[in-house]
Amino acid sequence: MNTKKKNRWLSGLLTSEKYSSFTVSVLAIVLTLVTASVLLLIMGKNPARAFLCFLQGCGFAPKANYGGGSGMLSDLFDFLNYLAPMLLASLAFIVGFKAGLFNIGIAGQMLMSGFAATVIVGYNKSIPAGLAKPLVIIIGIIVGGLTGALIGYLKYKFNIHEVVSTIMVNYIISYTTGFFINNKYVDMLTRTSRVCSPASRLTWTGVQIGGVGCKVPLGIVIAIVMAFVVRFIFDKTAFGFELKAVGLNKNCAQYIGVGVGKSIVASMALSGVLAGLAGVTYYLGYSNTIIPKTLAGMGYDSIAVALLGNSSPVGSIFAAIIVTIFQQGANYMSSTIGVAKEIASLITGILLLYASCGGHMKELAAGILQKDLYREIEAKQASEGSGSGKEEKR
Amino acid sequence: MEDYIVEMRHITKRFPGIIANDDVSIGIRKGEVYALLGENGAGKSTLMSMLFGMYEPDHGDILINGEKVVFHSSNDAAAHNIGMVHQHFKLVDNYTIAENIVLGMEPKTKIFGILPSVDMKKANRDISELSKRYGLEVNPTDLIENVPVSVRQRVEILKMLYRHAEIMIFDEPTAVLTPQEIEFLLDIIDGLRKDGKTIILITHKIEEIKKIADRCAILYRGKLVNVLDVKTTSVQDMANLMVGREVDFNPHKNEANFRGTVLTVDHMTVKNENKFDVVKDVSFTVRGGEIFAIAGVSGNGQTEIADAITGMMKIDSGTVKIEDRDITNLTIRERAQAGISYIPEDRQRTGTVMDFTLRDNLALREYYKEPFSKNGILNFDKFQSYAEELIERYDVRSGQGPKTIIRSMSGGNQQKAIVGREIEEHSKLIIFVQPTRGLDIGAIENIHKQILDERDRGAAILLISLELDEVMELADTIGVIYNGQLLKIAPASTMSSHDVGRYMMGVKEA
Repeated sequence: MNTKKKNRWLSGLLTSEKYSSFTVSVLAIVLTLVTASVLLLIMGKNPARAFLCFLQGCGFAPKANYGGGSGMLSDLFDFLNYLAPMLLASLAFIVGFKAGLFNIGIAGQMLMSGFAATVIVGYNKSIPAGLAKPLVIIIGIIVGGLTGALIGYLKYKFNIHEVVSTIMVNYIISYTTGFFINNKYVDMLTRTSRVCSPASRLTWTGVQIGGVGCKVPLGIVIAIVMAFVVRFIFDKTAFGFELKAVGLNKNCAQYIGVGVGKSIVASMALSGVLAGLAGVTYYLGYSNTIIPKTLAGMGYDSIAVALLGNSSPVGSIFAAIIVTIFQQGANYMSSTIGVAKEIASLITGILLLYASCGGHMKELAAGILQKDLYREIEAKQASEGSGSGKEEKR
Repeated sequence: MEDYIVEMRHITKRFPGIIANDDVSIGIRKGEVYALLGENGAGKSTLMSMLFGMYEPDHGDILINGEKVVFHSSNDAAAHNIGMVHQHFKLVDNYTIAENIVLGMEPKTKIFGILPSVDMKKANRDISELSKRYGLEVNPTDLIENVPVSVRQRVEILKMLYRHAEIMIFDEPTAVLTPQEIEFLLDIIDGLRKDGKTIILITHKIEEIKKIADRCAILYRGKLVNVLDVKTTSVQDMANLMVGREVDFNPHKNEANFRGTVLTVDHMTVKNENKFDVVKDVSFTVRGGEIFAIAGVSGNGQTEIADAITGMMKIDSGTVKIEDRDITNLTIRERAQAGISYIPEDRQRTGTVMDFTLRDNLALREYYKEPFSKNGILNFDKFQSYAEELIERYDVRSGQGPKTIIRSMSGGNQQKAIVGREIEEHSKLIIFVQPTRGLDIGAIENIHKQILDERDRGAAILLISLELDEVMELADTIGVIYNGQLLKIAPASTMSSHDVGRYMMGVKEA
C-alpha cells in the first residue's frame, strides 16, 4: 500500500499540468545520475567524488589547489564562457522545433558564422574594440540567418527535408571552411586557424577580479536576453502563434491563411540567427581559433539541452547549466580521478535518452492514475450496488 | 435456455472518462441478421470490437457455440470463424484483389520443387470461384486502387468468406454507398443469410434494418435498451428508442428567399498533384439565401471544388467570383477576407490545431486583426472573452472551458466550435463540407439548424455532403457530381433521392 501511495504521488507530479514540464526533466536528471553512478562504480570509481569534481571544475566548489592567477572565480567565468554558446545553440534548436523543424545543422551554422566573423573582423587588426565587437555580433546574425534561411528555402521550394539538407550543408561548410583555413589562415604551429584579435573577441581576457585573472564573457548576457526574447515571441506575438500553428498542424495553418512556406523560411532563419550568435560566442569568445574540418559537438549537445528543458526557452537556461557542468567539468574530473573525459559525452547522451523518454514517462504515470480511478469507481459501484453506472458520456 | 451461436454476457468496457459498454448482454441465433442500432458513441463498435478480439472486456464473458472464449487478438476471433468488415477498409491499395484476399493465408507452392512461393494462379482461380458462388462479381487481377468503393467492400466480404467466416460483422457498411449500391449490398447480405451465415449489422440507419434484419438490439449511451423483433416494430419507435426521446424527422425549413448571386464558378478546372483533372469544367452559381448542395459518391472531386474556391488548391483554368470580384488569383487569407467561410471535411487534420486550446482554436480567424492583436502583439484578454462568447452562443461543451485542449473534446463539440468560429465571421459565402460526418443525431440537428439559420440570414451556402439524406433535407438546389463533372443541376423540389442516386452513379438521363 505504501509503495502504491508513493507511486501515485510521483505520477501526480508527473502529470500535473502545472509542474509536469519541470518534474519530468528533474526525473530525467535523477535517472541519469543513477545510471552514471552505476557506470562509475563498474569502473571502480567513487561516483560522489566524480560528481563533486564536475562541480569543482566549473567553479561551483573549491578545488584542492589552484595554479597561479586562477581560482574558483576564474573557473566560474570559464563555465559561463561555455554556457553562453550552449544556451544560444539550444534556443536555435527550440525555435525550429516549435515550428515543426528539426534543425540539426546548428553546428554548421555556428561554424559558418564563426568563420566569417573571424576572417572579416578577427583578422583585421585596425578595427577598434568598440566597433569590432558589435560588428562580430552583426556578422553572426546575418551569416547564421542566411544559412538557416537557405535550409528553410530548400524545404519550402524543393521539399527537401531539413534533416537531410542540414547534414549535407554541415559537411559543405565544414570542408569549405577547412579548405580556406588550411590554405590561407592556418597557424603552422597549432594546425588551427590563426587566433583572432583580442579586440574582436566577445570575451574580455585577463580581467583581474579578487586577485585572479578572469575571462569575462559578453555572450552570456546576449544568451539570457535571447532566451527571454524567444519566450516573448512564442508566448505573446502573432508571429509566434503562427509558427506554433505551422509546427503543430501545417494543414490547419494553411487553411487559416498563414503562409506556411514563409513561416518555414522565417523560423529557420531565426533559428540560424541564434545559431550564428552561438557560433560567434563560441569561436570568438569561448575560443579564439577554429579547428579546421571539425564541427563543434555543442551543436548536437544543444538538442539534448532543448529536450531536457522541455523546449521552453527559460527551462533551457537550467538545462544548459546542467549539461555544461558535465561538459566543462570533465577535464578536471578526468585529471583528478582518472576517468576518460569522454564520460561527459556519455552522460549527455544518457540524459538525452531519458529526456526524450519524458513523454512516455508521463503517459505511464497517467496510466497508473487512470487504473486507480477505475478501481475507485468499481469499489464505489460495488458498495452502492448495480445500476449506478450512469457516467458522463460527452 | 436458447441455443445461441454468439452470446455476450454482462459485458462492461471502460475507456478514460467514459463507460463504452455497461453490463450489456446479447444473444445471437445462428443464421439470423442481427442489427445493432444506436447513435454515435452508443457503444456498438466497441461491443463488436470485443467480439472481434480487438479489445478485451473489463468484465463479462463471450461465448461461441456455448463455449466460453477469450480473444487476445483478431486472429483468435478469426480462428473461431468470425469475420469483420470495418468501416474503413483494410486493404493494400497497390495489391490486386486476389492478393488482398489471400494475404496471410496464401496458397503455397514450390518452384522446381524447392523454392517456396505463393501460388498466385491458384489464388486467382479460387477467388473467381468464390466470387461466382456468392454472386460477388470481381476481377481477381484488378488493383485495389483502380476499383470503386463498392467493389472494395465486396473484396472485404470475400476476404471473410475465404477465411471460412460463419459469423460476419458489418460495421456501417452502407455509409459509403449510393442508394443503388446499398440495395445490392442488402441483397448480398440476404444471400449470405440463406447460405446459413450469421450476420451482425452495425448501423444507425433504421430503414436498412427494417429491410433486412430479423432482430435489432438498441444501445443508448453504452447500455442495452431493448431487443426488438424488427417485423413488429415501427421505424418511429426504433428512432425514439435510439435517441432516447422523440425525434423530429422533418426539421422546420422556412420558405426560400433568394437574393443576388454571391458565388460564381465559371468553367473551373482543377488538377491534382499528379496533373490529373479532378474537377472538369465546372460552372455554377449560388445566390444569397440559397443552399446549393453538391451530391456525389466520395472521391468524385467535390472536396477539390471546395479547396479550389477557398484557395487551398490552385485553379488550373476558369474563374471564381464573389459577387463582382474576381478572386481566382487571391491568397487563402485574401479570399477569406473577401467573404468566404469554410468548414472543411476533416475537422482534425484541417479545421483545428488539435494541441491548441479551445480558446486559441476559436481565435484562428481573428488573431491577426485588432483587437485580438495590435502591432503583432496578442491580446489574450480578448481571446478569452471571445471564446467565452462563442462557447455560450454555439453550445460548445468541454471539460475546462476555453483552456481545454481541443483534442480531448468529442467530435461533435469540435465541429460545433469550428462551425461557430466560421459562422461568426458573417461571411457572404459559407462552405460546409461533410459538416455532420461521424456526429450523433443531437449534434446533427444542431448543425443543420445553424446551416438553415445562416441561409435565412441571407448567406450563400455551398453544402458538400456524401449523405444523400442530408442533401435532400437541406438543399434548395442540387448539383450532382460524377467523375469531376457536374452532371445535373436542378431545384431540389424537382428531384427525388432516387434520381439523385442515379446521377451519382454517372447515369446521364433517367
